[in-house]
Amino acid sequence: MARAPKRPNRFLTVGSILSLVWLGGIALLAFIPNDWLPFMREADQRVRIGRNYAYGPGVDFWMGSDRLGRDVFARNIYGGRISLSVAMFSIAVGLTLGGILGLMAGYIKGKVDTVINVLLDVLLSFPALILAILVVGRLDVLEINRFWSVMMVLSLLSIAPIARIVRAQTLSLSERDFVLAARSLGASKWRILAKEILPNLVPAMTTVAFTGVAVLMVAEGGLAFLGYSVESPTSSWGKLISENRERIDTAWWATIFPSLMLFATVLAFNIIGDRFARRFDIREAAL
Amino acid sequence: MAGTGKAHLRDTDDIILRVEDLVMEFPVGRTGLKVNAVSGISFDVRRGETLGLVGESGCGKSTTGKAIMQLPRPTSGSVLFEGNELTTLEGQAMREARTRMQMIFQDPISSLNPRRKVRDIVREPLVIWKRGLPTEQLDKVDALLEEVGIDPQRAAESQPHQFSGGQCQRISIARSLVLDPSLIICDEPVSALDVSVQAQVLNLLEDLKAKHGLTLIFVAHDLAVVKNISDRVAVMYLGKMCEVAPSDVLFEAPAHHYTAVLKDSIPVPDPEIAVGKVAIEGEPPSPVLPPNGCRFHPRCPAADERCSTEEPQLREIADNHFVACHHPIVGGEAPVAVRSATSPVS
Amino acid sequence: MRYALTRIARFVFVFVIVTFLVMLATRIGSKDPIRDLAGGQVSPEVMAKVEADYPYIEKCEGALAYLPCMGKQYAAWTFDMVRGEMGYSYAQEQTVGEMFKQRGPATFWVGFWAIIIGLLIAIPVGVYSAYKRDSLFDRFMSFGSFATLSTPQLVVAVFLLYAVASRFDFFPNLWNYVAPWSSPVDHFKNFFLPSLTLGIGLGAVWSRLLRADMIMTLQSDFINLARAKGVSPNRVLWVHALRSSVLSLITSVALQLSGLVSGAVVAEQFFGVGGVGGRLVIAVQQNDILIIQAITAVVVAVVVIVNVGVDLLYAVVDPRIRQARALG
Repeated sequence: MARAPKRPNRFLTVGSILSLVWLGGIALLAFIPNDWLPFMREADQRVRIGRNYAYGPGVDFWMGSDRLGRDVFARNIYGGRISLSVAMFSIAVGLTLGGILGLMAGYIKGKVDTVINVLLDVLLSFPALILAILVVGRLDVLEINRFWSVMMVLSLLSIAPIARIVRAQTLSLSERDFVLAARSLGASKWRILAKEILPNLVPAMTTVAFTGVAVLMVAEGGLAFLGYSVESPTSSWGKLISENRERIDTAWWATIFPSLMLFATVLAFNIIGDRFARRFDIREAAL
Repeated sequence: MAGTGKAHLRDTDDIILRVEDLVMEFPVGRTGLKVNAVSGISFDVRRGETLGLVGESGCGKSTTGKAIMQLPRPTSGSVLFEGNELTTLEGQAMREARTRMQMIFQDPISSLNPRRKVRDIVREPLVIWKRGLPTEQLDKVDALLEEVGIDPQRAAESQPHQFSGGQCQRISIARSLVLDPSLIICDEPVSALDVSVQAQVLNLLEDLKAKHGLTLIFVAHDLAVVKNISDRVAVMYLGKMCEVAPSDVLFEAPAHHYTAVLKDSIPVPDPEIAVGKVAIEGEPPSPVLPPNGCRFHPRCPAADERCSTEEPQLREIADNHFVACHHPIVGGEAPVAVRSATSPVS
Repeated sequence: MRYALTRIARFVFVFVIVTFLVMLATRIGSKDPIRDLAGGQVSPEVMAKVEADYPYIEKCEGALAYLPCMGKQYAAWTFDMVRGEMGYSYAQEQTVGEMFKQRGPATFWVGFWAIIIGLLIAIPVGVYSAYKRDSLFDRFMSFGSFATLSTPQLVVAVFLLYAVASRFDFFPNLWNYVAPWSSPVDHFKNFFLPSLTLGIGLGAVWSRLLRADMIMTLQSDFINLARAKGVSPNRVLWVHALRSSVLSLITSVALQLSGLVSGAVVAEQFFGVGGVGGRLVIAVQQNDILIIQAITAVVVAVVVIVNVGVDLLYAVVDPRIRQARALG
């Protein structure tokens, strides 16, 4: 009874390996300088073959070309760069700020906990999308680059859910016997935080990082569709989907391929997050 | 069980720990009610002695153990340890005093940080207190690990989950010894282990006690476990003291009805012997609203009018044998006169 | 009772803070709130009229005076709202109340049918997966729901548009709203795709939740008792077991409400349903202060009220929770 039976809970499964390969490939293509990739066209390079018309997928254009003759494959890779970096940067900020708030609430408790909880309640009561378009819209007035304002808003949105998770984890960790043992050994509060609590938060944080990136990529897609994400000529997957969807009857590839890219990437992040969660036995956290 | 009173406290030079009128209460939410986990108990421990603290779950024995460590600080009462009054120590002084006593917890897995290497866990106290050079620290850790029967090489490479429950408890013991404490509080150290492993860990504790000159407080719900290891046994019920006696006396002739019940509930490996001669009914009452008088009276076979109104005091019924009961099994009725003289019933 | 009151007080507090923050947000970078209210460049006469209609709206300046000045405006706005005067949108030339009357029903039906579709998917799938745990059906559905959860609503919408709408002429973009009682067929055409877009995601979330809950329930003693009494297996499953899982399902419906609002804005826009969400997007572009404030206030109020309701429902229905909360 003292020892939980070892379940065959491998981290690497067919799904997670495929996910890792997919994410690795996408990240490589997206973040390698395009000079190194001879097969890549520029994102806004217009190529006319015969008539200036959207071509279907084939040898010339792997994923076809859009109504302006731009290479959909190239645009997808550049769009992925924006989608990925916006989501990853935002989750990093969210983890830092949400982590600090959650730790303070869960470890110091008392009045600090109450104040932080009310703050989180307020943040969570905002319908996310309304908050996002409102803030991005206002930041436009202040002439802040959309790339930064979208990241700011997505960071803001990720703080509260992350803080909630960290708080709950910290509370339960600080009740555990090994923390009591450290206190009885005379460890200081800071030492207990650094040596006993923080390392045990790592699994949950890793899970949150992966599932969080997935959620934020979806959110960015929604914003892009409503016209509140990065501005042309820059693109993201969400923006590619929405700017081409009206021609879906005549040039399905310009919409379907970015949809598939977004779906596959979100799914891959979720699968890896799920593997971490199972591995470390973390309950599904509602982000 | 209601026992208050300090008749059993000794007055010799070698008292290492003296607990008086220890009270521990926890608020129940915001209801204004409180859990009376420990309601004014007193005891002392001599240097080199092993005190067994016994009672069923919820009687406050673990809380008592933690309250001695000031984790958390008791609501009231005094804890005098090696000449220091712990309840008034603050900050650094408190942290230092705590290192002279250590605790071993019930759940061996949960008491070790799952994300650290075992050798680092055992070494941690030395790092906190910056005792010795790194090489000296490691030497000491390895020596202790070997002493408790853990391979230091493996400990350097492995995390707690790679060890069995019994091994984890050995690691906990090694950690508790690394600062050379004088007192170790063992909070049900074997109740989470398989029976076959229990004896090994108990023997290890006995050996280490002799070798390191330790004093032990051994908290358990199982009288059988306490029987062999303890010099003196204190029986608790619902936050109060029932009976204090040397281990063999307590087993030969339990005076308190509750002790008798505990003794009878020890399984005997003999089908001929009938079990549970003195059975008690029901669950212990809630510590939020404990009964008046003797706290055991609602379940006691010998309870009468007096037990429900007057709290019995600990009194000596034989040499070194103390009981808090009006109608004990041995030792005669409690004199009625005692009650008005010393009865600060809470 | 005290528990209920503290809960309600807390939610009212949160509601006030959120709506106040929205008000502050509408003023970020705004040169003249009266001009925003009037809908951009207009004649001095109109400006004068707007100023007369909303005497309490002014531009707040100064670090110290800013919050008290905004607080005063907030109080005046709240007072108007309580009286039912939500204001007039000069940009759209209608009152905020008319806007809600015109566009509210569409948004309501999108959300309503989305919840119904979600439940129609979740209940059979969740219950049957729990009953046939680890069967082929269960594993297939488990992966299916996981993949669905990973599908952005935008992508669902694109696929529905591509696979259904553009192939059949059955789902035209009907910009004008049709009530279910005036023409059920047109109503269906109007709302099926946007509601399905949202409902699929909800169904995935709820079927996972219901499956986990039902697995716990099916192992409990009262189910064994019902079986032992000879209740038919189907009845045990669909009546006895499902009933005890309904509560957690209701909670999840309430929890998803805020997310549903976000999804509804996207789905409305995508399929051209003339709902409140579309108006909000335009209002943000125009900084139509009163519309923004009114829409967020209504949305947050609905979310908050439903959450309080579920909380209280829980406390009434489940004595264990009541006790646990009393105890701390």
